[in-house]
Amino acid sequence: MEDNGASAGVLIRISGPVLDVRFDAVDKEPQVNDLLITAGGRHMEVAANISPGVVRCVALEATDGMSCGEIVTCAGHGIRVPVGKSVLGRVVDVLGRPIDGGGPIEAEEIWDIHRAAPPFRDLAPATEFFETGIKVIDLLTPYTKGGKIGLFGGAGVGKTTLIMELIYNIATMHGGFSVFAGVGERSREGSELIRDMRASGAIDKTALAFGQMNEPPGSRMRVGLTGLTMAEYFRDVMNRDVLLFIDNIFRYVQAGNEVSALLGRMPSAVGYQPTLSNELGSLEERIVSTKNGSITSVQAIYVPADDLTDPAPATIFSHLDATTVLSRQVAEVGVYPAVSPLESYSRILDPTVVGKAHYETAQGVTSCLNRYRELRDIIAILGMEELSESDRKTVYRARKIQQFLSQPFSVAETFTGIPGRFVKLGDTIRSFAAILGGEVDDLPETAFFMAGDIDEVREKAKGLA
Amino acid sequence: MEKPILVVASKQDGDAIAAIRAGFSEKLGRPLDFEIVEDEKITGGFIAIVDGTVYDNSYSSRLHDFGRRISASDDGETPRGSSFATVGAVLKHRVSSVESGSTTYKYGEVVSFADDIIQISGLSGCHYGELLDFGGGAIGLTLDLRLDGVGAALLDGSVSTSSVVHPTGRVAEICVGNELLGRVVDPLGRPLDGRDIRAIKYRPVEAPAPSITQRAPVNAPLETGILTVDSMIPIGRGQRELIIGDRQTGKTSIAVSTIINQVNKGVYCVYCAIGQKASTVSGIVRTLERAGAMENTVVVTAFSSSAAAMQYIAPYAACAVAEEFMYAGRDVVVVYDDLSKHAVAYRSMSLLLRRPSGREAYPGDVFYLHSRLLERAAHLSNDLGGGSITALPIVETMAGDISAYIPTNVISITDGQIYLESELFNSGQRPAVNVGLSVSRVGRSAQHKAMRAVSGSMRLNVAQYRDMAVFAQFGADIDSSTAAMLRSGERLMELLKQPSDTTFSLAEQTAILLAFSAGAFDGFERGDIDDARNGLLRYLSENADKLMRNINATGALSENDRSDLLRHFEQFSPAKGGGDDGGTE
Repeated sequence: MEDNGASAGVLIRISGPVLDVRFDAVDKEPQVNDLLITAGGRHMEVAANISPGVVRCVALEATDGMSCGEIVTCAGHGIRVPVGKSVLGRVVDVLGRPIDGGGPIEAEEIWDIHRAAPPFRDLAPATEFFETGIKVIDLLTPYTKGGKIGLFGGAGVGKTTLIMELIYNIATMHGGFSVFAGVGERSREGSELIRDMRASGAIDKTALAFGQMNEPPGSRMRVGLTGLTMAEYFRDVMNRDVLLFIDNIFRYVQAGNEVSALLGRMPSAVGYQPTLSNELGSLEERIVSTKNGSITSVQAIYVPADDLTDPAPATIFSHLDATTVLSRQVAEVGVYPAVSPLESYSRILDPTVVGKAHYETAQGVTSCLNRYRELRDIIAILGMEELSESDRKTVYRARKIQQFLSQPFSVAETFTGIPGRFVKLGDTIRSFAAILGGEVDDLPETAFFMAGDIDEVREKAKGLA
Repeated sequence: MEKPILVVASKQDGDAIAAIRAGFSEKLGRPLDFEIVEDEKITGGFIAIVDGTVYDNSYSSRLHDFGRRISASDDGETPRGSSFATVGAVLKHRVSSVESGSTTYKYGEVVSFADDIIQISGLSGCHYGELLDFGGGAIGLTLDLRLDGVGAALLDGSVSTSSVVHPTGRVAEICVGNELLGRVVDPLGRPLDGRDIRAIKYRPVEAPAPSITQRAPVNAPLETGILTVDSMIPIGRGQRELIIGDRQTGKTSIAVSTIINQVNKGVYCVYCAIGQKASTVSGIVRTLERAGAMENTVVVTAFSSSAAAMQYIAPYAACAVAEEFMYAGRDVVVVYDDLSKHAVAYRSMSLLLRRPSGREAYPGDVFYLHSRLLERAAHLSNDLGGGSITALPIVETMAGDISAYIPTNVISITDGQIYLESELFNSGQRPAVNVGLSVSRVGRSAQHKAMRAVSGSMRLNVAQYRDMAVFAQFGADIDSSTAAMLRSGERLMELLKQPSDTTFSLAEQTAILLAFSAGAFDGFERGDIDDARNGLLRYLSENADKLMRNINATGALSENDRSDLLRHFEQFSPAKGGGDDGGTE
């Protein structure tokens, strides 16, 4: 072993997923981020040098059954994963090993997953509108090509369904390559995504990397970088426009939190790691569009305990160009996608970028809903009769808007029994403008629920009358 | 340096002792002067303890070891079948593959012991997650390994600083297999119901979850017999569905009804009680026995008086029991009652190990605690036998706060949740399911065709009805279609009430929902709906038994069956009094 340049050490401490290794030859001591391999073939990554000759590592695989005294060798480099055309259509784990049973990956190049962010002078800020076909998103939080989009939501409010619909709507139509990184989510969803992509053929233009929630924290902490590195190769070397989906970026922070205390760091606010913003920055700053090519990323962000002020989501917020917030109150009344219109936001919702008609309709919808929210308490105490005529109109229109913000999804057809609708931006603006303008005040509220555009609402209303 | 110790069965055999001494002196290159200890329990052979290393060559250990190795059947070459000839062949094969000889291991000494956490010096070769034997029935689990010592948590028994610690060479494991059906065991597989278990197979309590490619989509329904659940929040085999709610809202009774409904359906059940009081568990066991469901059920329990580490491994042990059935191609339901207590047990362990805490004082890895457990539930692909584990974890909320830390953590792991509300429970709507907040992410595609045909977008409609009913209270102007929706919603809510001791078959559920959408209940007052439903089911079992059985057998509702049922409804319906406007959709 010592002959091929790699140095050997001994495992001296195991504490859950964190291990200490001692190297006697101090000059051959591994660097931070180097990959170590035990005699039993298990991998770990160096997180810190804690004293001369001793490194502290995070295990990338389960540590059950390991024992002190095991021999460990250093690979002399960090985790390296295959990149390029050969990873398209393939599913890999955090170490870039195929897990789809399709044989070895013959990669033209292998890249280290720890890389520097592109230099400042190469950046190309994004301002171009990107159609998703989802009414509430296109109208209120328009996405940008080459931008970073965040889907915030607590447990079970439909983040994954929304990201799947986005994949369905944009990845299948978008001609370029896509990368999907599954970080700390359900294995079942991973296997369903692969099956759906195989069925639709989208997998031929997609590379997938998974480190799901059954895996130890080390794997969940690094698999996002594995996916990102593949996307970077497409952007930097092949000069492509890439779509990068990460579900779920919060799990990356969470995995870091799980090992932080065992690494010997003092806990910060709410028990998070003191390095939270650095860790996030080193990942998020790499997801950018450059002069060479663009990465449009859609990231799902789990909101622990439905608390948007939690340090993890609060830190992620500042990295995004558009944020779509999903809320439990909206989901509770059966409106899906459960987007909270008043908390969501987009940097390009500006008349100079999206145009005057779009901007004004979006503003009208927001202010109408906001007025309804203010009036709700008054209604609860005094009843509808006490409202002025115009306020009453606002309330009924706002309720119709709320219903109309729901939309049948193609990926949710099995739940709702209603086929999905892709609504063009022009139709979306026209439809909401019609509600705001009072053109459809006479239609019953139920007709607005789970409809595509306003013409469909009129059709449904005829059936109800 | 301490004096070496030699344990023998009897001191009389002086020659043998001299030979052992000579052998060791030669091996270690220095003369040894043993302190001889006599212990009949080792039967024969010897145990030598030299410089902290134990050379175990006793008959008792070798017999124990031998017994364990031939019962382990992890070798793929084992022929299947159970005739005497093949059993003989299997034994021969296993016996020949066991190499005999002495085992060598390091022993350790207890340095400190407080609050069930033990620090041990020595034991350098021990493995992560290994069981430790402290003598006197005390067992511990290693959690922290160093070169010179080990940190462990006590599972059972009591320890003092004079205890000598032996590694057992095995990680925490539980006996598994058909022998366990109908039994109540603790997380280490020791029987609690006063009868012996002759298990021949063990499984480690911790095991990796099936990988992404080993899974098949969830496509077969798990019938709970509860109309609200089967129609709107359907559960599929291999799904993880959380049951969540305040205390006293009927969480356990949904799980128990589900277990009882599996009688004669070929589905095995594992009920895991974590930190429950013994009398509660015994009550549940009695309920299951009375319903005849205990025959296909295993109960794994760590009582509230058990050590925190014992409660910590309980659900993993229950899952190992279920996995044995799943990998044998069976469908299994596991109930974890409940994971909030499990999280609390893990929190106390973790704080005692001085690991820093985060939100609500839980350690950072409390998510991984539950995710690696629940990910083990899956529907296996056909190559692996197509078995499944359906997990029904239970989580208790405080004052209806579904967005607390542990509830949201578990919701983000499971494939949906059944949310029970104390307000509904107290108002008599039982099962007290809040349909708006309950969801099943995969069960829909696994529903029977018959049920899918009649339940459609029922969940969304009920959620909308609840919202609208609140809004209508404030005297809002209501258009006619909304009023009709409110009226039919009221009746539907009545229909969904179901006592906890009754379950409905697929055909019964289909008939109720079809009758509802056909307007058969429109003529009844709200208070009479319950009687009307029971009357309808009685009428159908008397007059359309064959039809009902056909639906149960095929799981589908053919066009003929549908029109037959509709005809029956017409005959059944009483003369509609007055309100003949019931044109609900």
